[in-house]
Amino acid sequence: MKHLFLYLSLNLLISCIAYAEEKNNSNYEAVVRIENSSLNPDYKTPWNSGRDSGGNGTGWLVAENKFLTNAHVVSNSRIVYIKKVGDAKPYRARIVHIAHDCDLAMLELEDPAAFEGVKPFDVGTLPQLDTTVKVIGYPIGGERISITSGVVSRIDFLSYSHTSVDLHLTVQIDAAINPGNSGGPVIQGGKVVGVAFQGYSGNIAQNTGYMIPPPVIKRFLKDVEDGNYDHYVDLSMSDFPLLNPSQRIALGLPNDGIGIMVSNVEEDGSAGGILKTGDVLLEIDGLTVKSNGLINYGGEDVNMNEIVERKFAGDVIDLKIWRNKQPMNKRVTLKRFMPYLIAARKYDEKPRYVMFAGLVFQPLDRNLMAAHNMKSLQVRYHFDSYVSSNIYKERPEVIVLTSILPDSINSYFNQFTQSIVDKVNGITVKNLKDVHSALSKNDGDYIVINLLGNGRPIVIEKSKIEEAQKRIQSKYNVINDNYLGPIE
Amino acid sequence: MKQFSYTLIISISHLFVCYIDAFAASAEKSVIRVNTTMQAFSLIQPWEKGAASTRLGLGAVLPNNKVLVTAQMVTDATYIELEKPDSSEKTTAKVLTVDYEANLALLEPLNDKNFLSDREPFLLNEKLSPSDELEAWQFESNGTPVSTKITVSKAEVRKSFLDTSNFLQVQANGPVQYRSGSFTLPVAKNKKLAGLLVSYSSKDQISSILPTSIIKHFLKDIENGEYTGFPNLGIMYSQTLDEQFRQYLKLGKDDGGVFVSKVIEGASASGNLKSGDVILEINGNKIDSRGNYDDKVWGKLKFGNLVRGIPFTGDIIEMEIIRKGERMKVSFELIRRPTEDYLIDPYMFDRGPKFSIIGGLVFQELSVPFLKLFGNDWRTRAPIKLLMAHANPEMYEKQGNRKLVIMTRTIPTPATLGYERLSTLIVTKINGVPVKDIKDVHEASKSPIGGQHRIEFESYPKLIFLDASLSSRLNKALEQRIGITQRLD
Repeated sequence: MKHLFLYLSLNLLISCIAYAEEKNNSNYEAVVRIENSSLNPDYKTPWNSGRDSGGNGTGWLVAENKFLTNAHVVSNSRIVYIKKVGDAKPYRARIVHIAHDCDLAMLELEDPAAFEGVKPFDVGTLPQLDTTVKVIGYPIGGERISITSGVVSRIDFLSYSHTSVDLHLTVQIDAAINPGNSGGPVIQGGKVVGVAFQGYSGNIAQNTGYMIPPPVIKRFLKDVEDGNYDHYVDLSMSDFPLLNPSQRIALGLPNDGIGIMVSNVEEDGSAGGILKTGDVLLEIDGLTVKSNGLINYGGEDVNMNEIVERKFAGDVIDLKIWRNKQPMNKRVTLKRFMPYLIAARKYDEKPRYVMFAGLVFQPLDRNLMAAHNMKSLQVRYHFDSYVSSNIYKERPEVIVLTSILPDSINSYFNQFTQSIVDKVNGITVKNLKDVHSALSKNDGDYIVINLLGNGRPIVIEKSKIEEAQKRIQSKYNVINDNYLGPIE
Repeated sequence: MKQFSYTLIISISHLFVCYIDAFAASAEKSVIRVNTTMQAFSLIQPWEKGAASTRLGLGAVLPNNKVLVTAQMVTDATYIELEKPDSSEKTTAKVLTVDYEANLALLEPLNDKNFLSDREPFLLNEKLSPSDELEAWQFESNGTPVSTKITVSKAEVRKSFLDTSNFLQVQANGPVQYRSGSFTLPVAKNKKLAGLLVSYSSKDQISSILPTSIIKHFLKDIENGEYTGFPNLGIMYSQTLDEQFRQYLKLGKDDGGVFVSKVIEGASASGNLKSGDVILEINGNKIDSRGNYDDKVWGKLKFGNLVRGIPFTGDIIEMEIIRKGERMKVSFELIRRPTEDYLIDPYMFDRGPKFSIIGGLVFQELSVPFLKLFGNDWRTRAPIKLLMAHANPEMYEKQGNRKLVIMTRTIPTPATLGYERLSTLIVTKINGVPVKDIKDVHEASKSPIGGQHRIEFESYPKLIFLDASLSSRLNKALEQRIGITQRLD
């Protein structure tokens, strides 16, 4: 259960709500309890295997031997079991697909026999506001299945706290969501119209539970049809509403409430080189964009990103824009924009590192920031401005000297922790592999490491390194002195 | 009470020259109460001043109708009053010279030139050394002089008033009971001025004293005509304790040396020292690997005293250095980089923050006092891009910035509709003109494009527009309400 609380920087929690009205067509057998044993890596000691932990959530049968749940229920998983209603036996399951960016995962049983004859749920459509739904699951407060109910209170485009960088369509329901409900089905008319996934913790707001709605679920199911999950794509730009009359006059737009201004465009993103600051988006795939960024889609006002949301890598999007007081048409081919991921919480990855003469080098990301409680201005700036200041172009990976395992070879180096590595032996470092290969080169008497913003380099005598490395590895129990990532 | 002094040192300052019949000082006649009312400008609403406060301290009477106090006694002063402790006679005073970095100020009565004629001016006692007995002089509220004996223990080069300025300070031990109205206290040795007590820790019973060597430097600089202030070298350095590093730098066993890690443009070292140099010796004093030299009186002191505390601007400094493995001598003139030349003002006293308002958007030059609005932990809480500019001003200086102009906040007006949440954004251009200081904002605001002001920022939202005629009408309305809409000088 602890597991489910782990990821809440904002306030994610899980809920389940049910209602007795539809009891007869409730397909309880298809709602399962999922028990996950996880191994959570420690970015402070990246050479260790991590800490054992565990938790449970809910899942449901979506197709023959295919169970859907939240990604956060089965993140960093070591072993997963599925339990059926009224059956004490845990069945060993494996993760087929895990999509952290939309907090969904698909599991299957090693032996599907136990669920033979159980009818999978159909996925319905986006429920209407002020209609009743019920949530089925295995939340805290007991072992057996729980059913609660509520009404659909809001449909909005919101942050998914599992990664904390992804925003998707979200439906708010007015029932409290509790740990253990995560991944459970939200039912209306016998069909799944949502996956319960987060809520507000503490006393910030009452009766607000959130579920992942059918468009997001269906997109995930479609994405994995080819056997791979390919992630969401992004226009990689930010917009600024055109609410001030002066903006419209200056840009030569009529005062008709149409159009939103392009603010930042990421050079290496989908719209890079196509859109620029000061352009105005008038239409997206033929739909008019209002000056607050909403479009009318299927009779509802939704965020214009909904158009991008339903597309896949390689798909195109047609834009009508306004530039130099002229309308023009632009076509953008969509792709992922990886630099955004620096700010995302990561799962199911072994931390990468290089430990050299007691100095621990690690690539900068959100997990690293959190683990090391980074205070250094340089590090915080690089994290904060990695995308906005185009740091990613120069340094695809920002390598941080995160900590030092004290030894005689590095006894004056403490001042250098939480610094960013600029060069190693004259070679500009662009990723962790650069650090590893530059450190392994065997020329000259010294290893010289230049740090950003510090004119004083770290200097290590080569002749002392081999012995020191052995000494440090055995003293600090560092089994491998580097992990550079999975072998490609 | 009066004692004739026969060891008069005339050379200290011309302030002393005409003072032939010198007297030794006494608490009641040589120390004077200084009462100041201070009122600093608001950095959030730069058109107004905050609440006034008072500060009570003591000054040292100097010859020629002058009074010496610490700078922090008179910063942002709106009214300064001198009060004789014995008679409570008062007069208004003005600041003649103030050095915020050295934390010293020289005052004189505004009108009453004879106000101090019945006082007994201090002479400077220049020979301060460990275990000297000093007297801190102050008064009971009824005017009775109180003398407290303290003993000098050591000296250090450290910050006193501003975090950026390090000067020699003497420490003395012994309990000092602060009497009413004693913000700074003159300290005497053998009835001559030995320094100004600037802080006292009641827990450790340690007094920090700004010694006469710094005071003398300050007075002599005034005497020389236009006050130029203490020179600055303008480097960042690191110690060379690590043996591997020493070998790499080819430093010998007997060498000390500090490693120059950064040279700041515009100060003395700029163009004379290079990042990567090792400083071995300054004016014949060996610098050890921690950055200390051996002072004849105080023992180990940070080398800053050799480049900042002792010499004057215009003096030539000689250094022995190692550059790229080779020993060499360099000598260059010491200068002081004026505070106005810093991209981000390190401090701001006695003047209002520069600002300009356009239709409700408030533009200001970024300063350290502004960053400090983010609280004691401003170094972690202030916006990261602003902190980065503070730590690496060369990022912007390279682009020709004299100052860093930010849009600090938005006053909600009809012109700023939709911009209410924008704040602390670095401004790059206004109406197509690059903004390098606050005057550029004002100049650029005169030429809107097609009736609209076009304002560009370094980061999101990058670009906004403001109706020019509406803005100027609103500026007039704001002027009615807040008095002024700009301060450019």
